[in-house]
Amino acid sequence: MSVARYRYFAPTSLDEAISLLQAQGKGAVLLAGGTDLLLRIRAGFIQPTAVIGLKRIAGLNRIAWDTKRGLTIGATALLSEVAEHPAIKRRYPALVDAALATANVQVRNMGTVVGNLCNASPCADNVPTLVAMGAEAVVMGSDGEKRIPLGTFHTGPGKTALEPGTLVTAIQVPPPPGGSGAAYRNISARSRVDMSAAGAGAYVEMNGGTCSDVRIVMGSVGPTPLRARRAESMLKGVKPTAALIEKTGQAAAKESKPISDVRASAYWRKQVVAALVSRALTGAFQQARKG
Amino acid sequence: MAGFDIVGKDIPRTDARAKATGAAVYTDDIKLQGMLHGRLLRSPVAHALIKHIDIRRAEALPGVKCVVTGKDIPKVRYGNWRLFPDLQDEYALAVDKVRFIGDEVAAVAAVDRDTAREALDLIRVDYEELPTVFDLASALRKGAPRIHDGTQGNISLDRKIRYGNVDKGLKEADYVRKDTFTVQAVSHAYLEPCSSVAQCDIDGRITLWTSTQVPYIVQCLLASTLGLRENDIRVIKPTVGGGFGGKMELRPWDFCAAFMARRTGRPVKFTLTRREELATGRRRHPMEITSTVGFRKDGTLVAKDLKILLDGGAYNAMGPTATFLCGNFGAMLYRYPSYRFLGQHVYTNKPPASAMRGFGAPQSLFASESQMNMAAEELGIDPIDIRLKNAQMPGDRIPDVATISSCGFRECMEKVSEMSAWKKKRKSRRKGYGVGVGCYSFISGGVFNWFNTQYPFSAAEVRAFDDGTVHLLTMASDIGQGSDTVLKQILAEELGLAMEDIRLTAADTAMTPQGDLGTWGSRVTLMAGNAVIDAARQIKDQLFGAVSARFDLNVIYDLECRDGRVQARGKPDRGMSFGEAVALVQKANRGEALVARGSYTPRRKGLVTPAFSFGAQVSEVEVDPETGLVDVKKMWTAHDCGTVINQKSVEGQLEGSLHMGLGYALCEELVMDQGTTINDTFLDYKMPTAQDMPPGESVCIETYEPEGPMGAKEAGEGMVSPTAPAIADAVHMATGFRCKDLPITPEKILKGKVDSR
Repeated sequence: MSVARYRYFAPTSLDEAISLLQAQGKGAVLLAGGTDLLLRIRAGFIQPTAVIGLKRIAGLNRIAWDTKRGLTIGATALLSEVAEHPAIKRRYPALVDAALATANVQVRNMGTVVGNLCNASPCADNVPTLVAMGAEAVVMGSDGEKRIPLGTFHTGPGKTALEPGTLVTAIQVPPPPGGSGAAYRNISARSRVDMSAAGAGAYVEMNGGTCSDVRIVMGSVGPTPLRARRAESMLKGVKPTAALIEKTGQAAAKESKPISDVRASAYWRKQVVAALVSRALTGAFQQARKG
Repeated sequence: MAGFDIVGKDIPRTDARAKATGAAVYTDDIKLQGMLHGRLLRSPVAHALIKHIDIRRAEALPGVKCVVTGKDIPKVRYGNWRLFPDLQDEYALAVDKVRFIGDEVAAVAAVDRDTAREALDLIRVDYEELPTVFDLASALRKGAPRIHDGTQGNISLDRKIRYGNVDKGLKEADYVRKDTFTVQAVSHAYLEPCSSVAQCDIDGRITLWTSTQVPYIVQCLLASTLGLRENDIRVIKPTVGGGFGGKMELRPWDFCAAFMARRTGRPVKFTLTRREELATGRRRHPMEITSTVGFRKDGTLVAKDLKILLDGGAYNAMGPTATFLCGNFGAMLYRYPSYRFLGQHVYTNKPPASAMRGFGAPQSLFASESQMNMAAEELGIDPIDIRLKNAQMPGDRIPDVATISSCGFRECMEKVSEMSAWKKKRKSRRKGYGVGVGCYSFISGGVFNWFNTQYPFSAAEVRAFDDGTVHLLTMASDIGQGSDTVLKQILAEELGLAMEDIRLTAADTAMTPQGDLGTWGSRVTLMAGNAVIDAARQIKDQLFGAVSARFDLNVIYDLECRDGRVQARGKPDRGMSFGEAVALVQKANRGEALVARGSYTPRRKGLVTPAFSFGAQVSEVEVDPETGLVDVKKMWTAHDCGTVINQKSVEGQLEGSLHMGLGYALCEELVMDQGTTINDTFLDYKMPTAQDMPPGESVCIETYEPEGPMGAKEAGEGMVSPTAPAIADAVHMATGFRCKDLPITPEKILKGKVDSR
């Protein structure tokens, strides 16, 4: 294993970052918080020729909320900033839960939500909830800006729908309608401070006493975050009882495709994802009833 | 404790400030002029003959100053068991053969670490692969590939203990059960990775700074492997960031640093990476433990037949000692009228296991304490009551081991039962809730002289000065457990001085008195403490003589060192300051410095240990029925470590033990696949974090150990053992699932529940 040798760039504008990304070609990687990237470089998993830091780009760490566009989380906004932001705490508590479920204090003070998304690990804690809430990635390239729904953003472990020479500048989450709720639940065998062995994000909308819309997204039980569409259909248009929620969790588990690895066995992941889905749904319904 | 001025008082650790401010100097902090950086090339295959090594391209890389392989080094085998040279089975670099993935094959020293690492890629090794064995069953199979020549079926050593008539006992017992338990490999996970720096002087003598628990052993074995005299080697132990048994041998990087420093004339440093530590480092022995135990109806123990297979990995390391001790731990807590033990240490193509906190006790006691809980359940007796019935008492003799002197075991069990409201909680029927119990007994250092040292087991030199200060020199090695503080406390107490009056040098084999066998087996407080007292008393004899003469004291007067003075007891006016008394002794001796040397070697204490500690622990858990996650709500501990010399240190030891025991019970495991350790980062090696630590309450049951310094004995090592059986028992109460295979993972619990339905 040879020693990593790469050039480091610190562009101060998006245009500069994009032209660097294009000029440096295949060997270029982007650095937001670096909490995943630097470990991968040091372990020799990747050998980039250029590292482009995004932290000096003014405004890229913006977190903003308005009633029309909803929530914008900039590419370099930290996990801890997301977890502490008053508007997010008020309107998107599930995103706070997911951010706080990510790694530990030190990592949250360096790592970013967008980095967690773009690293494209199947166990990324922030992704299931964002997908369930219908979030989109704002993608910038030399041709201008476009949007990718997060549900189609991941194409495999470590793989995304991003085209070469483009980067994610922000995540946008639609404003939550009245009567909606979302929640995230995750688990690891070590329990309190760890990478998740499985996770589940749920988003629901209530109309009167019935569930009018629902999205369930499971993490770490497939190559990408997985929608449990058949399970969702069990809840749509009906009254969500505790028994039904439990059954929905079991149905979602059937849709999961976990592997066995050193962190957990496929058997255990399938067992626990059922519980996590029901617990996330229960949390989401509770919130929906409150709002 | 009454009667002491410093011992047992709230004395802060003497190293706390340096560590908290970052001023403490660890081996990797040492930077010498012209120093080179070493890296090790490790075998990528588990078992192979080395046909050829080509180092030419590595040597040609700019910045590389030295490349060595097994061809270049003296062919001297080493290992800690010098008493039985057949057990010394390692070369510093592989000679002709590699035996595990990670076996050290070559070393490079270069101007920086990156260059050295790059050079490793340029070394070409041709291996001829051999068949492999990765577990006990395949290692012991007939016709299994042989890992070392000269062994029978890959068994490097066996150990037998036998007393009473076990067969008769089991036949006559009212209740007999036989169980097999398996336990996993775990890492010491000391936070300071292994590191060493060697410097060679103009005459070819070596100074080695190394992160070690055993400076004297490293000195001796480095001398023999380099073909030098012991006095040509000086080993200095800087601040050490934990060892837990993983740093108690001469290791290849110690040798390579010294060998390459001699070759290049430049200092050479090696520091391992965390990945090397986890993937190839020493570890706690996985074991397969089969125990047959017999009781009378009323719960009285009748007989026990214990067989333990230790999965030793590719070399003996400290495995032989673990083999001996796990047999002793199998019958240390209770009175067994008859006992039979067979332990076998088995070679496999895996990284060698070695000493690790508990030294065979965590494995052995997980089995015997779990079995005790199972027997209690089936006999319909409360698990604490059945233990009380069989508990060792002061004066009990363990055949072929020793007579137990101080022993607060019963009191520990009674106290922990009371603290935890055991009887009430044990009756709970709440689903997913449980409490469980585990106990331990441990040694205060070992007696059996496997290293075959020619010196006392511990030694101390005290130099007294007329300014009222003293200098304590000892080879006792503080590796973070706090022995520097404890030894200073003992000396300050004995000489009536303040902590600030004592300068301490430890450990430097060229300066501090020979010898000391190092830090392991919880030997330091008792053995080095006794050596310090021995030296201090000789100093006192001289001071007392001088003061007695100066004041023309009647011979019946008792003298004392107290509050910085040397005086007649009860008559402080008949005395003088410590410094004045030292000056007087010096005058009487025509200027000779006042120096004394003390030592301790256990005698008439059998072959196992001079003293025994005891303790009991209760755990309270909640188990999530859907996920199998175990939430440890609280732990209660009562233990008997004799006189408590430093309360804060004992608390720290208990918390550290609990942390390690928790990981051993629930989540830690080095996962192996075909000889490769898969989880070689702290991301995947699941050690509990600070947030996973349960709250706890602990109580020291004070006893006075006559063999210990001021009544003290072991504290904190044995404590690592009861946690796993206590949690396993609580999980059983909560779920009905009895785990006999550590760690108790959520998956095993879910599967166990399915099976028991």
